[in-house]
Amino acid sequence: MNYRLVARIAGVLLLVMAVALTAPLAVSLHCGDGAQYGLALSAVVMLAGGLLLRNIVGRGAEYAMEARESFWITAVAWIAVPLCGSVPYLFTGVLSTFTDAAFESFSGFTTTGSSVVARPEEIPRGVLLWRAITQWMGGLGLILFVVALLKRLNRGSLQLYAAEFSGTQQRKLHPHISKSVSRMWRIYTLITVVLVVLLAAAGNGWLDAVCLALSTVSTGGFMTAQYGLSGYSDLTLAILTVFMFLSGVNVALLYNLFTLRWRRLRVNHEFALYTGLFLFAAASCAVAFAASGNGVGESVRYSLFHIASTLSTCGFYTDGPSHWPLWTSAVTFLLMLCGASAGSTGGGIKLRRLMTLSIYLRNYLTRMVHPHVVFSVKIDHKVVAGDYVNKIFGFVFLYICFIIGGAFMLTFSGQGIADAFCYAAANISNLGPSPLINSLGANLDYAMLPSLAKWTLMALMLAGRLEIFALLAIVSPSYWRSRR
Amino acid sequence: MRRRMEWKVLLRSMGIVLMAEGVLMALCMVPAWHFADGTLGAVGICSAFTLAVGALLWLLCRRHTVAEDRRMSYLTVVAMWVVLPLFATLPFLATGATGSFTVAWFEAMSGVTSTGATVFADVAALPSSVLLWRSMTQWFGGFGVVLLVLALSPRLGINKYALYTAETSGADNSGRRAVRTTVTVRRTLGVYLALTAAFIVALWVSGMQMWDAVNLTFTNISSGGFSVNSDSIASLTPLQQYILTGAMLLSGVNFSLLYLLFTLRWRQIGHKVDQLRFYLVLCLLAVAFVVGVLHWQGGYGWEEALRLGTVQTVSALTTTGSVAADTTQWWTPAVFLLLMLSVCGGMAGSTSGGMKVMRVLILLRNARSIMRNRLHPRVVNPVRLNGSPVSNHITNNVMVIFMVYGFTLMAGVMVLMLCGIDATESIGATVGCLTGYGPGLGASGGFGSYAAFTPAAMWFCSFLMLLGRLECMTVLVLFLPGFWRR
Repeated sequence: MNYRLVARIAGVLLLVMAVALTAPLAVSLHCGDGAQYGLALSAVVMLAGGLLLRNIVGRGAEYAMEARESFWITAVAWIAVPLCGSVPYLFTGVLSTFTDAAFESFSGFTTTGSSVVARPEEIPRGVLLWRAITQWMGGLGLILFVVALLKRLNRGSLQLYAAEFSGTQQRKLHPHISKSVSRMWRIYTLITVVLVVLLAAAGNGWLDAVCLALSTVSTGGFMTAQYGLSGYSDLTLAILTVFMFLSGVNVALLYNLFTLRWRRLRVNHEFALYTGLFLFAAASCAVAFAASGNGVGESVRYSLFHIASTLSTCGFYTDGPSHWPLWTSAVTFLLMLCGASAGSTGGGIKLRRLMTLSIYLRNYLTRMVHPHVVFSVKIDHKVVAGDYVNKIFGFVFLYICFIIGGAFMLTFSGQGIADAFCYAAANISNLGPSPLINSLGANLDYAMLPSLAKWTLMALMLAGRLEIFALLAIVSPSYWRSRR
Repeated sequence: MRRRMEWKVLLRSMGIVLMAEGVLMALCMVPAWHFADGTLGAVGICSAFTLAVGALLWLLCRRHTVAEDRRMSYLTVVAMWVVLPLFATLPFLATGATGSFTVAWFEAMSGVTSTGATVFADVAALPSSVLLWRSMTQWFGGFGVVLLVLALSPRLGINKYALYTAETSGADNSGRRAVRTTVTVRRTLGVYLALTAAFIVALWVSGMQMWDAVNLTFTNISSGGFSVNSDSIASLTPLQQYILTGAMLLSGVNFSLLYLLFTLRWRQIGHKVDQLRFYLVLCLLAVAFVVGVLHWQGGYGWEEALRLGTVQTVSALTTTGSVAADTTQWWTPAVFLLLMLSVCGGMAGSTSGGMKVMRVLILLRNARSIMRNRLHPRVVNPVRLNGSPVSNHITNNVMVIFMVYGFTLMAGVMVLMLCGIDATESIGATVGCLTGYGPGLGASGGFGSYAAFTPAAMWFCSFLMLLGRLECMTVLVLFLPGFWRR
């Protein structure tokens, strides 16, 4: 095991966080909200830790890695970084217990958006920005930071990339992986900047605009006020709806779209399904809203906003109508498990996998009648190999096992069975809070949960974000058995 | 190559099945006569009518014995599981046990699919002939009327292997080796009859009335779960409860394994022991957990915790649904575990429902193999079952069934909630009906009944039972657009 390299990469990530903390620090100094000392102290600690790991422990690391190292690095990045990210919450005194701070931080980095902060409008502005920044960093993936920053990794970066974006068999944007990754970062940043400008132009304050934009493009879903986004103008919500929808789309597709490389777009059945599902669900929910006594225009707006928020697993909500029809809750529950497109910042099982499953199901049924017909699973006119289909199925199976296991753990801390399933599903799909699910019977109030439940949910968020295998790999005995 | 649907073959098998049903219905006249509760005539008419319809169908179509088309086997299976409950409603309606067809249909479907969900809040008030009929439907439904037909009529003509796999479909590869399906089925039936007789005698020796012994054996050996008492099996002596637990445990075991076991062919068992081992280990672990919870968390004494824990765990795993204690009052993790056990179900090729442990085992091993493959990409790491590798193709098929099952569960909960049932009870009812466990959570759980459900919810639940018994795929294939095309 190449421990030096692991230390070096952890150090780099800490330094990135220290740099990122300067923005909240500047905001705190400007607003004078009293969080500046805590934030400065956190930044110094991270700087020191980062330098120690990168330049002393990880000094002279060889840039060579195998599958084992890449899983290890993935896990370190996704466990150590969120744990360190909880430091600012503790130092500024916003959250008092380590469990709460870790929960908030994990929820941020995994772009879940479940929050234990009861009144976000009352916490220091700097910390509010830090919450949003953690989501933005987690949106594309912490590993992509590493790949983008450490150009020397070369072959290793492909493995890292595969460890984080497991199992969707994406076409890369560029034959060279680090070029591909830097293109992803560029388009991600560009969309964020555009959204910030639009939100500011729609009449929101700069800080609000930045926080919302960072939470939207990463499909995170931390909100700036207690009752969701109710306080914002219709124009703001409309802009957010569009960008939530976009952030559930494959980043590579967006890149080709915005750089006007139309020829590379070709057919993309997943995008077609994503759009179709969005429109269909929004239409059905609009009907349900209208049937329960809301105005037509209002119903359409609500349902578009909430379906975009759910399908992209962003998790924003507005105070909305006082009564949520049951139908919308049912749709929400199913959509959040489906999730966004593969290779986007969203969570969930991913539509591409579900497409594979449903095509396979159709083939299976046809084979029941005509046993000798040979079929293949084709997506975008390309055959998906049989053992690849098998991997996708394995993933979906484990995903469901995690939901069941997570729900089981939650029942130990006093949740009812229905609530437990709602909590588990909302967090493994990185959706986070949603009033729609509340009306399914669960009252998702994260602050009141006992510690055991919080740590269970953190594990679920991480499993959802890392698509399970990277997390399971390092806890599996066979990972540790054969030491080279 | 497409062929015309050979409907007459279907009608012929239907005729045979209905005649069998009519004969069994006639047997219910015995308690009606013995207890003299005034239902003798009604049951007699029902029986005669069923027999007549069956005989008519058979006479008209008796020459159409051979169907070449696989489509016909799926259609036959589904048709049987619709027609059987349809005629099974007759005794409920004719004896005045209920005036509503919906209620009768729910109860009949619950019987024929050996689910065990009941709409009658106080079953003890029902006439004895109806009680025996409920038990009887479970007994023949549980074993699979399809197998019964195969055994009775070797030359039924339908592609026998296809029919056999449709009923106990999917993962059971032991059936593939049995070229002579008819022989297998005869042996299986022999085991079933022997087990039934043995448990009736055992219960009778333990001091139970013959009436109770017959009924409870019928419902437990078929992993059904109806009872003749309103408190299910709670008022029995501990010994009798343990005997019934044994019956349930055996009802979850693959019948060809049981045959090998009883005929002392130990060596052949060695080749198929994986599934059995997993089943028993799972059962033991779950029992240990539930007993622990009952003792330390629920405040039961050791004897009671051990007994009730064992009974309820086995009842859930084999999807029987006999109730010795109101499990809905237990600590939530225990309730949750029982729920998941019934989703898991017993062994493939047994009378129990659920996903079947065989499939769960294959899926778990597949997941493990995929993970190993990620860590060591160059190692060949096939999924093995009973020592021989299972191809990706089979694991994928199992996975598809799992997915459909999971989706049906989720959609089922949603639909029931839209029918106005609260979330927890919807989960309980969906799991109870789809897996064939029976009792749900809340009012429909424990010693309760489904009486409070709206007609729409009842119809949906009975559809879930059908789906669950035929393992979804056989029903789904009928909805394939290409299925009906010539």
